[in-house]
Amino acid sequence: MGSETRVGIIGVGCTKFGVRDDATIQEIAFEAVREALQDAGVTREDIQLSVVGTAGTRSYELMPAVPINEYCGFAGKGPIRVEAACATGSAAVYTAYTSIRAGIADLAVAIGFEKMNEVDTPTSLAVGGRSGSYLWEFHQYGTTFPGYYAMLAAAHMARYGTTDKQMAMVAVKNHRNAAKNPKAQFRKEITLEKAVGSRYVAYPLRLFDCSPISDGAAAAVLASEEKIKELGIDNVVWIEGVGYSSDTANMPKRADYAGLKASVEASQMAYRMAGIDDPLKQIDVAALHDCFTIAEIMAYEDLGFCRKGEGGKFIEEGESDFGGKLPVNTFGGLKAKGHPLGATGVAMIYEIVKQLREEAGDLQAELKNYKGLTHNIGGTGHFGWVYILGV
Amino acid sequence: MMSRSEETGVMESRTFVLRHKLPIARVEKYWKGLEEGKIYGTQCKACGAKFSPPQADCSYCYSSDMEWVEISGEGVIECFTQLYSFPQGFEFAGKPYVIAVASFGDFRIMGWFVSEKEGEVSLPQVGMKVKAETGQDETGVWKVYFRSVE
Repeated sequence: MGSETRVGIIGVGCTKFGVRDDATIQEIAFEAVREALQDAGVTREDIQLSVVGTAGTRSYELMPAVPINEYCGFAGKGPIRVEAACATGSAAVYTAYTSIRAGIADLAVAIGFEKMNEVDTPTSLAVGGRSGSYLWEFHQYGTTFPGYYAMLAAAHMARYGTTDKQMAMVAVKNHRNAAKNPKAQFRKEITLEKAVGSRYVAYPLRLFDCSPISDGAAAAVLASEEKIKELGIDNVVWIEGVGYSSDTANMPKRADYAGLKASVEASQMAYRMAGIDDPLKQIDVAALHDCFTIAEIMAYEDLGFCRKGEGGKFIEEGESDFGGKLPVNTFGGLKAKGHPLGATGVAMIYEIVKQLREEAGDLQAELKNYKGLTHNIGGTGHFGWVYILGV
Repeated sequence: MMSRSEETGVMESRTFVLRHKLPIARVEKYWKGLEEGKIYGTQCKACGAKFSPPQADCSYCYSSDMEWVEISGEGVIECFTQLYSFPQGFEFAGKPYVIAVASFGDFRIMGWFVSEKEGEVSLPQVGMKVKAETGQDETGVWKVYFRSVE
């Protein structure tokens, strides 16, 4: 077994999400890394290992870890390139975390980024669709990422009576929150009527059920407890639990379509490690993977915030809003803050760290236990990651 | 000409075409089967595990002693979607197409759901009974098509 050292997050950074034609991948990664290093109060020389996460393919730079590492002044400190589809960022943080737990590094940076707008929308849709199981799915049937989640939505609606109005409520809540988040891609509130009346992208999912095609980067600086003491840092958010799982690449090989097994298993693993037996009572704020509105509803259920099939009711009764049982996606979620795939998992950590340090301004949730959760899915439940953070 | 735009601050990359070889030698019967109107899965002779889409090796007991099993009869729609935004490579579809997963006993397969009337697009429902046929799309790719039997 490795060391028993605790691992803390001592600095976080996140760029503005959106269409970032103004910058290369190196430049947006640099933006996030600079903010994270300044936030941690360390310099680039202090970093012993850099982990670079991106889902990839949509950017012109095909093997981007070294170009980014060079630009951030980390040549020689790694890099390790990590890919776990839309959960890449969580896997990147895990790589930094385990390196510290193993005693190999005592200060490491996890960088997540994606520039999805370097290609056009049909190409971006093809990259997403080809990333499930190309030979058996995309090649024959022209699957897309919205299409995959739409299939889950159809199953969930049929079994539990979840409505498009309930799904739209997720979009309305998350847009309302994003309007107050300066880093968000969409900073405009939307009405329920507008969401429910928007065009279909992949039936039953409409335009406002879908997260946008986003560019952005995020970074987190992690350190061992010993290093944190040595540096005299007291503004630390600890990684108290982490869980992961995965599921089949091929949709016909799944046992069920109305939820994500990877979410259930990853959350149970993280809860065990962090001693969580009642998430609603023990966790103050959560970032859930709402790449599509149905995904947030399924996550309420799969993570045990409500019973299976009652996710629609959970949003309808305001339980995931400020003042509800457990505020979810206070920063606007992937839905409205944006979803630059490789950046997302790290950006969720960024947002929950800000919450637990009570630096979330207008979007600050009420803290009782000073514990937060991030839930990051890759693909359509192909990867599942959950972190429990605490101070 | 590759352009540089001062208005947008971006310029274009060189064109890069990616076309891959698909090695189907070990599952050729599946692809040949589609041409004959048949849909196959595989079953592990050692442990009995069933696979659809088919595979040459058993992910459970690690045997490579597999047999082909025809998937036929009446299926039930498990989930579906209708795509309005097409990915690169499917522009030929021209109109929204319906992708579904249906179960046939222990096997599940993906297919395009088509309605009885040529040119008409209708939606299936979860739980709808369907039959599976094979056919070629406009690009020559063989695939499974579902039709309602209700």
